[in-house]
Amino acid sequence: MAPTACFDCKEARAVIIRPKNRHKLCRACFIKVFETEVHETIIGTNLFFPGERVAIGASGGKDSTVLAAVLKTLNEQYNYGLDLCLLSIDEGIRGYRDDSLETVKRNALQYEMPLDILGYSELYGWTMDQVVEQVGKKGNCTYCGVFRRQALDRGAARLGIKHVVTGHNADDVAETVMMNLLRGDLPRLSRGTSIVTSSDASDIKRSKPLKYAYEKEIVLYAHHRQLDYFTTECIYSPEAFRGSARTLIKDLEKIRPSSILDIVKSGEDMAALVPVEVRGAGKSKQAGAEEESAGGCGSQNGRTSGGEMAAMEKQLTENDAAESLETEIKIPNGVRVKPNRGPTGKAVKAQTIKHCERCNYISSQRICKACTLLDGLNRNRPKTAIEVGVGMEDEESSSTLMRQMERAQLSAT
Amino acid sequence: MPAKELNKPCMECQDAEFELTVRKRQLCSLCFKRFIAHKVQSRLSVYRAFGLDGPKTQLLLPVSFGVSSSVLLHILNTDRQHRLDNGRPLGYDFKILVIEPSTVAATGVPFDQNYEALEKNFPMHNISRIPFHNIFDYVPEMEEIMQEYAGTKFMDDSTRSNEERLAAFRASISTPTSRTDVDTVLLTRLIVEFAKKSGCESVIWGDSDSRLAAKALAGVAKGRGASLTWQVSDGMSPWGVRFEYPLRDLYKAELLQYESVCAELSDIVIPDQPPSDNVLTKNLSIDELMLRYVQNQGAKYPGVMANVARTANKLNPSTTDNAPTCALCAGLVGNVKGNSGVTVANQAEDNHSSQFCYGCMRSRPEELC
Repeated sequence: MAPTACFDCKEARAVIIRPKNRHKLCRACFIKVFETEVHETIIGTNLFFPGERVAIGASGGKDSTVLAAVLKTLNEQYNYGLDLCLLSIDEGIRGYRDDSLETVKRNALQYEMPLDILGYSELYGWTMDQVVEQVGKKGNCTYCGVFRRQALDRGAARLGIKHVVTGHNADDVAETVMMNLLRGDLPRLSRGTSIVTSSDASDIKRSKPLKYAYEKEIVLYAHHRQLDYFTTECIYSPEAFRGSARTLIKDLEKIRPSSILDIVKSGEDMAALVPVEVRGAGKSKQAGAEEESAGGCGSQNGRTSGGEMAAMEKQLTENDAAESLETEIKIPNGVRVKPNRGPTGKAVKAQTIKHCERCNYISSQRICKACTLLDGLNRNRPKTAIEVGVGMEDEESSSTLMRQMERAQLSAT
Repeated sequence: MPAKELNKPCMECQDAEFELTVRKRQLCSLCFKRFIAHKVQSRLSVYRAFGLDGPKTQLLLPVSFGVSSSVLLHILNTDRQHRLDNGRPLGYDFKILVIEPSTVAATGVPFDQNYEALEKNFPMHNISRIPFHNIFDYVPEMEEIMQEYAGTKFMDDSTRSNEERLAAFRASISTPTSRTDVDTVLLTRLIVEFAKKSGCESVIWGDSDSRLAAKALAGVAKGRGASLTWQVSDGMSPWGVRFEYPLRDLYKAELLQYESVCAELSDIVIPDQPPSDNVLTKNLSIDELMLRYVQNQGAKYPGVMANVARTANKLNPSTTDNAPTCALCAGLVGNVKGNSGVTVANQAEDNHSSQFCYGCMRSRPEELC
């Protein structure tokens, strides 16, 4: 069969079928079109300003390596005037993080960017390996996510940088949309898709310039530019809802390649339709770290325990049962009742931004989530963690924490 | 009078043997039907809130001969009869519309006997029956829209019959996902126009909770997230006709239970084809994939799936004042107000005209998929 010519330049031989739209492209055109799309995202959303100092959250994985490479290229090509540097977090996961940090160190040399590495042990006194030893493999992503978010912010603050970019791609964002729909989480649905997060709450702005880039194209880009990155999966597993959403998205992509982008588009539209009174409700800012955690730690496995979904199922069934016990109050005939649509009737407490009393990190609570989690870890007697758990706003993780603590105690005795 | 000797009495009336278990309660068929009917009527109570002399709202109930819409019809009819017998005000009345299934499904399902049974069992209702291709009569501008939508690959031949023209248009759409998507849009438009012409204020759809969850997930996956506020939520459709989904609190399994205790429905309902295991995922339509997903996951986590539709129902309808709407599906062209995403900007590169929304553009025949 004769070689197919590139769809764009019509000259060179096509070697790539773009996962996004199945166009057949040559190597040069693919690299160009990938970079141009990221450039358009950056311009279209006014992501940077000239002279801005930007830290790239670098894990050594494909996403952040491609992000660093693309930003360096675009910065030079389009004169963004950015001052770029790499910021890495050492979670302390042996066999996973050690090697990837070596990659980041090489990247720093290759891209001529300064690199700063911040360790969990240094910040919190606990490595992830130690956390897992204490709490078990389930639910440890909560710790990792909460700790990581703060760590990146603190690292940036230490460098005097106000903008951190992360390698979240379109697949991650689509997953988050589906996941939040599945667990009925409207507040997160309203913020999970935006390219810049939490700029209102924190001094540090966070953004994801690869938000519209397909994971598969990121891999292709890394491959064809022969980038030096580290392939591995986090050895601890992702939560059930994300696993379920991930499987679903992989199937959707097989049916219609554009669906990842289509979900992102739907998610963006729906975010704007979430009632204002629900948006900020319920979860503190640290929750944002959780929603990004699994996608951001490069974990690609779909292993699910289902525990989280089962727990929610139980809760919903109980709600249902309670509802059937309610007494209906009839409104007399002749009174026209307006349909009460949406949850507007419920008063929602406004969220106020405070600073953690211990570490001064921004929090909606007196004590920030990281410090609360640390409290649980630092106490020798696991039972006391239960009290901390109940006091926390995030019921989901508190119950998990409780169960884990109980289990830990049982096995200790 | 001595109490009846019952082995396992109904938990509600204690007066009959239990026949069905619903939400962990054992009920007799009468109490079961009452429970289901209550769930439906509470959803439609807004239409009842008039006094004795209030106007009677007309609703349109499209019946597909599937379980859900047939059960809905049965519930509404029972309630109506009950009210008439007791001299109570109706509040609303409804018309029945049948889009001939043989003109919709490719396999040409015979339905004449089912239709006869429908007329026989519900003689007091105004039942209309129209073929799918009547869309050209109900939406006169449809031929232009189709020509514009399908692009150069499709030539509309106005000398041919409407049936052939519709078939040609549908055949021009290549993938199962796009075909199902566009079919749904066309059916909705036909039903809406029929509702308007026959003076109906609202359309009451027979989507079960499970169906709505699948619709919500599929809508999101097809880039139609902004339209969920009327495709899944109760609310005003872009055509000025309200959409109601009164079965939204009931699972498909519960509707099947209802059907099993209603002898009248057995001749009307065309049973669902069991999903085939031999289809590759990539050959399914997105709607079908989501339906399967909701069914599979719903077996284990029914509440989680039900919650998807409830979540979608909480979204605010978008404010569409003067915003351009899609010529085909009436969805918003561009982004919802407040959405600064640039997916639409990326799309403009394709040099497509902007008279269609993002979701419809994805289902266009010319899309390279």
